[in-house]
Amino acid sequence: MLENYFPVLLFIIVGLAIGVIPLLLGWILAPNRPDDAKLSPYECGFEAFEDARMKFDVRYYLVAILFILFDLEIAFLFPWAIVLQEIGMFGFVSMMVFLSILVVGFIYEWKKGALEWE
Amino acid sequence: MNLETLMFYLLSALTVFAALRVITSRNPVHAALFLVLAFFSTAGIWMLLEAEFLALTLVLVYVGAVMVLFLFVVMMLDINLERLRVGFWKWFPFAAILAVVLLVEMVMVLGSSSTAGTNVNVAKHAADYSNTKELGRLIYTEYIYAFELAAVLLLVAIIAAIALTLRQRSGTKHQVQGDQIQVRSKDRVRIVSMPSVARPDTRK
Amino acid sequence: MEAQVLHFFQWFWDLFGLWNVVWSFVEPVWPLIWNLMKIVAIVAPLMIGVAYLTYAERKILAYMQVRVGPNRVGYYGLLQPIADGIKLLFKELIVPIRSNKLLFAFAPVMVLAPALAAWAVVPFADGMVLANINAGLLFILAMTSIGVYGVIIAGWSSNSKYAFLGAMRSAAQMVSYELPMGFALVCVLLAAQSMNLTDIVMGQQSNAGMLGWYFVPLFPMFIVYLISGVAETNRAPFDMAEGESEIVAGFHVEYSGMGFALFFLGEYANMILIAGLTSLFFLGGWLNPFHGWMLVGALTEWVPGIVWLLGKMFFVLFLFLWFRATFPRYRYDQLMRLGWKVLIPLTLVWVVVVAAWMQTPYWLWTPASVQG
Repeated sequence: MLENYFPVLLFIIVGLAIGVIPLLLGWILAPNRPDDAKLSPYECGFEAFEDARMKFDVRYYLVAILFILFDLEIAFLFPWAIVLQEIGMFGFVSMMVFLSILVVGFIYEWKKGALEWE
Repeated sequence: MNLETLMFYLLSALTVFAALRVITSRNPVHAALFLVLAFFSTAGIWMLLEAEFLALTLVLVYVGAVMVLFLFVVMMLDINLERLRVGFWKWFPFAAILAVVLLVEMVMVLGSSSTAGTNVNVAKHAADYSNTKELGRLIYTEYIYAFELAAVLLLVAIIAAIALTLRQRSGTKHQVQGDQIQVRSKDRVRIVSMPSVARPDTRK
Repeated sequence: MEAQVLHFFQWFWDLFGLWNVVWSFVEPVWPLIWNLMKIVAIVAPLMIGVAYLTYAERKILAYMQVRVGPNRVGYYGLLQPIADGIKLLFKELIVPIRSNKLLFAFAPVMVLAPALAAWAVVPFADGMVLANINAGLLFILAMTSIGVYGVIIAGWSSNSKYAFLGAMRSAAQMVSYELPMGFALVCVLLAAQSMNLTDIVMGQQSNAGMLGWYFVPLFPMFIVYLISGVAETNRAPFDMAEGESEIVAGFHVEYSGMGFALFFLGEYANMILIAGLTSLFFLGGWLNPFHGWMLVGALTEWVPGIVWLLGKMFFVLFLFLWFRATFPRYRYDQLMRLGWKVLIPLTLVWVVVVAAWMQTPYWLWTPASVQG
């Protein structure tokens, strides 16, 4: 089984190299004449004020947390999906129970307005 | 030394290095990114154990989801490092004791008779062996109880996440699609019929 | 294939009488070299494809808007992508002050590398695949989920408000649309009963031609996958991350020269990847759409599979460009609403429908390998 993964590893390394090499080439070939105005972060023409790393709406965290939970659900669905024909009706019912428990959570989320953006 | 052993040592060294940098980096974002690297190399080690599904799920769930949340939090919250360091030495003995206890536990587990000398070679599987199918055959039938418990756990997590982070702000505007669609012209426009009157002659 | 290549090398080096010497050096690392050659055979056409996809986009958009598009460099502007590449290579790399230099340089690599690495498991015909792994689909999902890091790191390390805003927006968008994508793929797995991409395509083979493909029983999932694919790649009408009119190109606003070019390459490589995956999962990959259709089937049997696959990919890519020319940009709340309140419930319902359908005798798409 592992021998199948050797080309994958190689491909990841090649992928990284394809990203790094043009950057290095650009760094070598391109001119480098920095000045203050050029290097200052873009902000519609006037001087940047405040730190760029600002606080954010808490909704973004909520989206990220809900994403983790649903991602886990998908991780549970994957092995189930590929053996459903072997485990038959029993497997089907056990997943339906699993999903219905989580659908309760989804409905709660919806009713609470956690999915609203304004 | 074959390629597998070499890979194991490379990945382990990478994991240890990344883990060390997680706790020594001054910048929390760097620490989080090193944690990503640690997860990644751990996934590689699991792959060496032929735990295909677990290794890829580790990348999918931890790298792809959990660490994204971590990064969101450390990037967007103002973490005051100076404030975090206050009281470091006060709590240090407590932390040191915990660390020693953990270390002793690990040594005992690794050195115990049940695991000592179990330098087992993981069963080598043929190229068409599917680790995921094996898992699937067991989780949804034999371990169904634990599986349904996992659902309940996820449900609790969903509710807890909403309870902890959802704040209704006042003065925000929603778009209510249902209302928009049901709007009829008579709700918005009033047609007034006015008698036409001859314009008064102003030229005089 | 491998034997033929080896044979050719032997013939070539024998011209100089050096074969034995060369082989004694090469033999221990031959698997490495052979795999590298295969990787180059995948990546080189892919890179050319990416370059000409940018050209195709400009040209097609231009014609849809009754313009001419690039037509100065080479015939019909055919050398335009190459000229663009060379220009970007010689442009100064600007690294903004107070940015995290190393992360700033690494972010574009993080976008491009996973988009390329996912191709390791993509089959081009039966048996024509670099790594025939059983968890192929899971590997692809894992790789595409890493792409979001490039965006987040780029936005954060630039130390610019627009970049940061754009990065957070597109990160939330990318993770939100990964969910419907995952659920849609669960339906594909249900139908194929395997995560191996070759098995998924072969499961769609039947005498019904294109009616045996998964886009027939999973039609809603096909649409959902396509929409999520557009959103995943931050393409119009879901290009809030770029939103030129509001946050001036979003997360890569501070990038110039090669750094910018890499983001561009990554975006288009991702588009091609999504197009390829859509073709494999829902449109029968390299299978002949008319297979088993009496006369038409017999007449088209000689066409090699790769032609069908490329044709299907062109079709999906054309849809991507068409969407961009046709639809106005979504607003952020509408985008989140579509993802969470329309696509996720829809996919969840369809997972249940397909699983229940499979419990009845009316499910006609059981792969031949499972039937026995």
